[in-house]
Amino acid sequence: MSSVFRHSDGLGLKISRVWTLAHATFTQLIRMKILFFLLFFCVLVVGSGFAFSVINPEQQLGLLKTVSLGTLQIFSLVIGIVSTALLLPKDMEDRTLYTILSKPVPRFEYLVGKLLGVLLLIGGGLIIMDLVLSVVIYARQGMVMQETLRALEFNGQASPETMERLKGIVARQGLTWEMHWAVLAIFLKAAVVTTLALVLACIASSTLFTIVVAVCAVIIGHGEHLLREFFLHPYLSGQLERFAALAFAMIFPDLSQFDIVDGVVAGESVPLSAVLDMVGLATLYVGGHLTIAHLLFVEKEL
Amino acid sequence: MKRKFQTLAIILILGVMKLPLERRVTSELRSMRLIDEPMSVGAVESMGQSGLAAIFGGVRGLVACMLQLRAYTEFKRVNWAQVDSLYRIVTRLQPRNASYWDEAAWHMAYNAAGFYLYNRDKNLDRNAEIRGQLYHEHVQRGINILLEGLKFSPENPRLWERLADIYFRRSYDMAKAGDAYLEARRHGAPAIMLHMAAFAYAQSPQDVESHQKAYKILKSEYDRGMRSPGIIEHIKNLEGWLGIPGGLRIRDAIPQPKAPQKVPGPRLR
Repeated sequence: MSSVFRHSDGLGLKISRVWTLAHATFTQLIRMKILFFLLFFCVLVVGSGFAFSVINPEQQLGLLKTVSLGTLQIFSLVIGIVSTALLLPKDMEDRTLYTILSKPVPRFEYLVGKLLGVLLLIGGGLIIMDLVLSVVIYARQGMVMQETLRALEFNGQASPETMERLKGIVARQGLTWEMHWAVLAIFLKAAVVTTLALVLACIASSTLFTIVVAVCAVIIGHGEHLLREFFLHPYLSGQLERFAALAFAMIFPDLSQFDIVDGVVAGESVPLSAVLDMVGLATLYVGGHLTIAHLLFVEKEL
Repeated sequence: MKRKFQTLAIILILGVMKLPLERRVTSELRSMRLIDEPMSVGAVESMGQSGLAAIFGGVRGLVACMLQLRAYTEFKRVNWAQVDSLYRIVTRLQPRNASYWDEAAWHMAYNAAGFYLYNRDKNLDRNAEIRGQLYHEHVQRGINILLEGLKFSPENPRLWERLADIYFRRSYDMAKAGDAYLEARRHGAPAIMLHMAAFAYAQSPQDVESHQKAYKILKSEYDRGMRSPGIIEHIKNLEGWLGIPGGLRIRDAIPQPKAPQKVPGPRLR
């Protein structure tokens, strides 16, 4: 099977070249010691897993999951925005960009390679952290179960019904497949934000501009559903406000659709259709943003 | 220039494609209870900065967790107003997490109400009437919290059970306690809730309708072979109050308690 895909505009997308660029980007980011965050995360997970012994088993496991998944989300968004904002200006500063583009490497491949490198870093980091979190939750749920059983037996209340309820609570709040779907949702959200940051990096004149505007975009993205509803309910306001709401809703992605972490921590199950919906939407956003980034980058004077 | 128009066209096409898609996915995810309903303007106004940052930063759960820990610190300082206010934000941020509603209600109906009833801070300004008033206000606050939580999770047995417990043990509204215990059982709470419902109905003073409900539940349990001293004692009382004909009454004698009943909680050693 050929590793070259042809685009309608005549650009070739050679997988090996893209992979080389992605690998180089990944190595470049690793050298920036970004993954020190992983160490911080591990300390946080172990700390929050074994602290707060005063609260009940359900709270202990729920707290561990909420804090860890919340930190994962912050990690992935920050890495996605900052590394994308840094990469293009750094390549220009180091003149690596000119060396690459002077070779027969289309600009689209360069962008895809850079994006893939950042996503590899985020994905790899999330997988490692998911593994650490799973191990800690698994260990903690066993300990919590034993501690609570001992307390129930001590107080003479370890009836079969109570034990069943306890098992249900620990099973719901412990290690579940849903937790991994939540991590996937975090990755999808980070991928969307990263491509949005890539679009901004293609028009930005400074790293700071990209970071600030991308953070604003994340904030608007979490409120996009409100803008959408505002537009769709004509009785709410005047035409001008509705038009402004529509413009924002069309430009920014709805990031709140990837916020399934809270539902997962509350014990809700995640059906496959929900996962497919999220993957489909993320693909649409990433594809759209990448096309826009390409059109802007082709025009950019380097 | 051509590229700029192409970019604009792509933004427009993407926008037109994504809006209906986003609407459909949002509604599906909401029906699966994976993402939250949008908040009312009033709720958003009462959030404060941390709440708004949580909503627009996509970290509602994390902020709710932090605020819950702050509420725990305030609970240790017996600052009940602050506990209530923090839990108000926590429950707004995570309206479908039943444990937050449960804890908020427990703090108000048990901890705060008990604190004022027994005058734990030995405040001489509070006489018996004021203490009683504060007790009832905090118990009612606990009930209100649960009723609000049940609007978001009407099928949660834990919330129904906690509500029933508060009616049964704190506000002594036995008919409502019975109804709530039955709801808890209907939504999957353990079988003991059925007995609790009957015991609550049976203790509703001069309430024939509740007594009939209690008799119906207990008699069917008795006929199923459940003949614990508590069930027999309540049936015997109800037979008398409801004027059940002699032929239909159970033959067991009222049981005499042989030993103190085992109560929940740690044993003293």
